[in-house]
Amino acid sequence: MKPKLAKTFLAFLILLCSTLNPAPVRGQTAGAVLSGTVSSPAGAVVSNAKVSIKNVATGQVTEVQSSPAGAYTAPGLAPGDYEISAQADGFGSISAKVTVAAGAKQTLDLALPATGTATEPSLGDLGFTPDQVKGSALDQARLDRRSHMLRTHQRLGLITTAPLIATLITSAGAGGRHGTASGRELHAALGGVTAGLYLTTASFAIFAPKIHGTPVRGPIRLHRALAWVHGPGMILTPILGALAYDQRNRGEKVHGIASAHAPVAVATGIAYGLAILSVSIKF
Amino acid sequence: MSKNLLIAFLLLTPSWSVPPDSQWVLDKSTLTYHVSHPLHQIDGVSHAARGKGVCHAGQCDFLIAVPVKSFDSGDSNRDLHMIQVARGAQFPMVTVRLHLPESAATQETIHADLEVQFAGQTAEFKQVPFQHTTQGNEAHITGTIPATLTGFKIEPPSLLSIPTKNEIPIRVDMTWHPQ
Repeated sequence: MKPKLAKTFLAFLILLCSTLNPAPVRGQTAGAVLSGTVSSPAGAVVSNAKVSIKNVATGQVTEVQSSPAGAYTAPGLAPGDYEISAQADGFGSISAKVTVAAGAKQTLDLALPATGTATEPSLGDLGFTPDQVKGSALDQARLDRRSHMLRTHQRLGLITTAPLIATLITSAGAGGRHGTASGRELHAALGGVTAGLYLTTASFAIFAPKIHGTPVRGPIRLHRALAWVHGPGMILTPILGALAYDQRNRGEKVHGIASAHAPVAVATGIAYGLAILSVSIKF
Repeated sequence: MSKNLLIAFLLLTPSWSVPPDSQWVLDKSTLTYHVSHPLHQIDGVSHAARGKGVCHAGQCDFLIAVPVKSFDSGDSNRDLHMIQVARGAQFPMVTVRLHLPESAATQETIHADLEVQFAGQTAEFKQVPFQHTTQGNEAHITGTIPATLTGFKIEPPSLLSIPTKNEIPIRVDMTWHPQ
């Protein structure tokens, strides 16, 4: 072969090889990521679980471990079909299949079954879905906060009954023929304390986190309905009381809208008492 | 639990003629927890339990599971509070496992050891008695699991600052049939 012809042939070979072998370069840059959480049958996260990701086409296996938070991540996966399996001490193993697209970030949560013999049934055998079995720390925190606020609502509500009753009792010395200025002062002061405590109590119920998708049923419905009576009553009573207070201090007989102070206060007190009883005594 | 015991019972009784490697499925169930408080006697009921029993080589394994939130006490606010104290959002399932030799099914009263997972805790109850009857190919099991709040590290809920009793017996009424 002549030198010029040999060089041309060699250049052709090099060019041919470079065009025929581009796949490994593209494969290295595919970089799909598969991640998820490994959980127990009870929904708790499982750390140090061994997660195997097998490429069905090539047979290549990638193994990763779940973190203390139960999370696992397998980066750099080529696109294709994979068989995923997970196992951890104290639990049975689970397997799943997933198709990974090029460059995708896919999530696959793995709920381990309880350990056991070959005959031992698992939660999966019972037909529960992963969503039913998987717990949520976030939802639990929301429930915890709700219960904490409602417990405070309950305790403050009980405390509020003391000045409320005292206010009703001292009303005898504030109005009527035997009413005195000092009696009105005491009655007004106790009424102010009651209103302040009441509004604080109510705010803990109003701002407690709501749990959506829970239909309201049972005695709590009556408790809530009564709030529409004693709530406005607790706002109206001090306003009417202030009007009555001014009229009496001017030496006038209580008249006009202010004369509704006593009946509104009594109705409010009764509604408030019934609201407490509605969640305290089983009817 | 009691369902599992009943299944084992059925498998052991010759008249049932259950072949080896048989399976049982929970058909109907009523689970009822009872909470005592000076002002209230509360019963929470669930019909949502699912169960399965697998028998092989003379041994039977049973699993019963029920979502915590499926219990209904007749008051949605109380139910939410129960779910909260039982950490039901974080651990949404109650599971009961039972392992019995087939020979245990020769008695009308079955004493079973139960492993209960609830509120992120596991508690064992030894020799819990369950009664069983049969009708056709169905097995009916009733009994009470003597559960306690402290057994699952649950702080007793309170009403008007008065806590409930620690004991929360769970009544079990289940019907199983062969698969």
